[in-house]
Amino acid sequence: MPLIGQLALALALILAVYSIIANVVGARRSIPTLLASARHAIWAYCAMVTVAVAALVISLLRSDFSLEYVASYTSYSLPTFYKITALWGGQQGSLLLWTWLLSLFTAIAAFQNRRRNPEIAPYALATLAAVAIFFLGMLNFVTRPFDMLAAVARDGQDLNPLLQNYWMAIHPPSLYTGYVSASVPFAFASGALITGRLDDAWIRSTRRWAIFSWFFLTLGNLFGARWAYEVLGWGGYWAWDPVENAAFMPWLVMTAYLHSVMIQERKDMLKVWNLALIGMAFGLTLFGTFITRSGVISSVHSFTQSGLGPYFLTFLIVVVAVYAALLIWRLPKLRSPAEFESYLSREAAFLFNNLILVGIAFAVFWGTLFPVLSEAVRGVKITVGPPFFDTVNAPLALGLIFLMGFGPLIAWRRSSLDSLAKTFASPAIFGLVTGACAFVAGLRQWYVLAALSLGAFVLGTIVVEFRRGVGARRHLVHESAPAALVNLVAKNNRRYGGYIIHIGVVMAFVGIVASSFFRTEIKKSVHEGEFFQVGPYSLQYLGIETTETPHVETSRARIEVRRDGKPIAMMLPAKLFFKRNQQPATAVAIRSTPAADLYVVLAGMDDQTGLVTFQVFLTPLVFWLWAGGVVMAFGTVIAMWPNVRERAAIAASLRAAAETPAVDEPLRRRA
Amino acid sequence: MPKKLRFAIGAGLMVAAIAYLIVTAVRNTAEYYLTVSEVKAQQAALDGQMLRVAGRVVPGTIAWNPATLTLAFGITQPPAQDAAPSGVRPVAITAGGAVFHVICRGQPKPDMFAPGRDVIVEGRLDRDGVIEARQVLTSCPSKYAPKQPGAAAQ
Repeated sequence: MPLIGQLALALALILAVYSIIANVVGARRSIPTLLASARHAIWAYCAMVTVAVAALVISLLRSDFSLEYVASYTSYSLPTFYKITALWGGQQGSLLLWTWLLSLFTAIAAFQNRRRNPEIAPYALATLAAVAIFFLGMLNFVTRPFDMLAAVARDGQDLNPLLQNYWMAIHPPSLYTGYVSASVPFAFASGALITGRLDDAWIRSTRRWAIFSWFFLTLGNLFGARWAYEVLGWGGYWAWDPVENAAFMPWLVMTAYLHSVMIQERKDMLKVWNLALIGMAFGLTLFGTFITRSGVISSVHSFTQSGLGPYFLTFLIVVVAVYAALLIWRLPKLRSPAEFESYLSREAAFLFNNLILVGIAFAVFWGTLFPVLSEAVRGVKITVGPPFFDTVNAPLALGLIFLMGFGPLIAWRRSSLDSLAKTFASPAIFGLVTGACAFVAGLRQWYVLAALSLGAFVLGTIVVEFRRGVGARRHLVHESAPAALVNLVAKNNRRYGGYIIHIGVVMAFVGIVASSFFRTEIKKSVHEGEFFQVGPYSLQYLGIETTETPHVETSRARIEVRRDGKPIAMMLPAKLFFKRNQQPATAVAIRSTPAADLYVVLAGMDDQTGLVTFQVFLTPLVFWLWAGGVVMAFGTVIAMWPNVRERAAIAASLRAAAETPAVDEPLRRRA
Repeated sequence: MPKKLRFAIGAGLMVAAIAYLIVTAVRNTAEYYLTVSEVKAQQAALDGQMLRVAGRVVPGTIAWNPATLTLAFGITQPPAQDAAPSGVRPVAITAGGAVFHVICRGQPKPDMFAPGRDVIVEGRLDRDGVIEARQVLTSCPSKYAPKQPGAAAQ
């Protein structure tokens, strides 16, 4: 197996190199057979990486401890499910997974574009293959997944207990899928720059890739947050750790990109900006990997010093430099005749939404790199913690939420104050009333009041928009209200999918604000039978039970929760002890309701005194963060769904592109 | 005023506002991140400052009171050759190495806390050289941690 895997990786590298040569030569000399051969090489390279992945998975399942990787990250007693997930439990496996996803996406892109985009596609595929060569180079020469141990180990060292969790099993693949699929739009942007086909064909052809990437980045971030919430046992879900920031920054930039491409499609503006954004997004995915692997920045997750840092940094610098050079070279061709006409226009709202999103990304970047920068400049290492990120991002988030309500409803080009008043009167009143109700209910923090008002305002605008659409359909097509709603969304899935995502964002935002402001924490050491009070709940500690499997030892406490004297739940927080690697871990008990989460951690047991320490968090509305995530995912699926009208538009734009030569392409405006 | 300029001003103001937010936030929230020896070297200047101190728990100094949730221990500079965060390993504390006492009140003892473990202590240094910690973070052994030699062949 190891031999097959190693061989497959070597062949994949050779095939990837060949595909670049064939693509570039084929495109320059217009040799269709050579381009076809390049496509076949890409499919073969994808097959080879697949073989390597299969070989590693089989070795993991068979517990082949002659392999260093298998011995380092699994053990005999590890459950089968985690033997498979150990594929991304270690560095070599993670890189292999990354490469595999890249090869799959490249193969799919090659298939999609076998007749489309004859000019851009060969260069885009060559770009993707060049990225793959970097990763394959690492896997073949630097950090090899199929290295053997000198002597076969009797048992492996097991997977880190923190990773033996359902969310950790699905979080890295989601995030990687998001990271890697961002390279497809990036490659097409590069292709557009190289060939000079700078109309929006590259954006339209990769729009679904961009949404796909955003979808998985969203899920990856949420899964990671959920993992932190359930496993790390500190009652929160986000700590602004460098590793978290590394996943968050590409998400922010992709969000900005998805919005600003709409301006280019509609108004033929912001071309340079869009090309820069997608370059940034791709650069940040590499930067994220660099941070987590290099040990430059100390993180509590500390993936630490693996020696890969310099390679990633070099690759990152090369990519950024080449891309920036291409962009500057093409600047003269990227001038746009259109310009912003009024602050009261959708373009302007989108422009400011972009500035804020990129501003947040920059603040996160700055805060993450601050220790390194301060050490380089002033010679002292100064860190900024969560308070920094909170103080910077909180006001920016409010601005973003406001624009989320404002932008989608305001007219393109310019809008009169009269029409603004008409459109926004009822949502604005709804927002103010919500804020007033919250004030009457006793909330006094200005931020919370603003957040609730703006959230209600956004929901109001979305309701207005849905009502308008449904009303128009009922009037024109004479449909019943539910049928009109379904058809409205189906016929304009991109737009209404977007609104549904916005609803999810508001839900998540309210959940985040409420859980940040109103979390209460109680720490208590108690004897068996003792009661203690947490908010409206009374908790009684009833005793502890210890169970044992060959893999893990579990001490589980029983806590009866009462409210108004009535028992409502039995909670079972536990401490686990993983035998193979001699590590403890915490299993928290969570009782989640839409109103609040009761979160109980078994924080410690003292053998001498018999005292058991519990740490209990009562977090209001955190449920809505996860619910909002589900709604965002649902909306994204709707927005991604293939749409007949859009296909026709792409076909038309490609036909138009084929008719105009690239050399002196007139700047076409689409109405 | 030309439209281009009008928008450049608006965007410029936005960028300036974000920059202002970042600068003030850095000023208000920055903490020194130091190792034990660095704290020792500039102890007088750091009096009362918010610090993050990286060091290693000195075996035999740990006092944990579960009833009051008070954890007290000493931290010292790890030997240079393995400054990287790592798992438990035997430490020889060289005589004369700086040791700071840490007191952390009202927090449960972290799971991974153990003698010889690398920790990051977040808190203030008082006049007697005691660190009043708000938080003690144990660096969790990474999933990419380098293997300990021989561990695989146990």
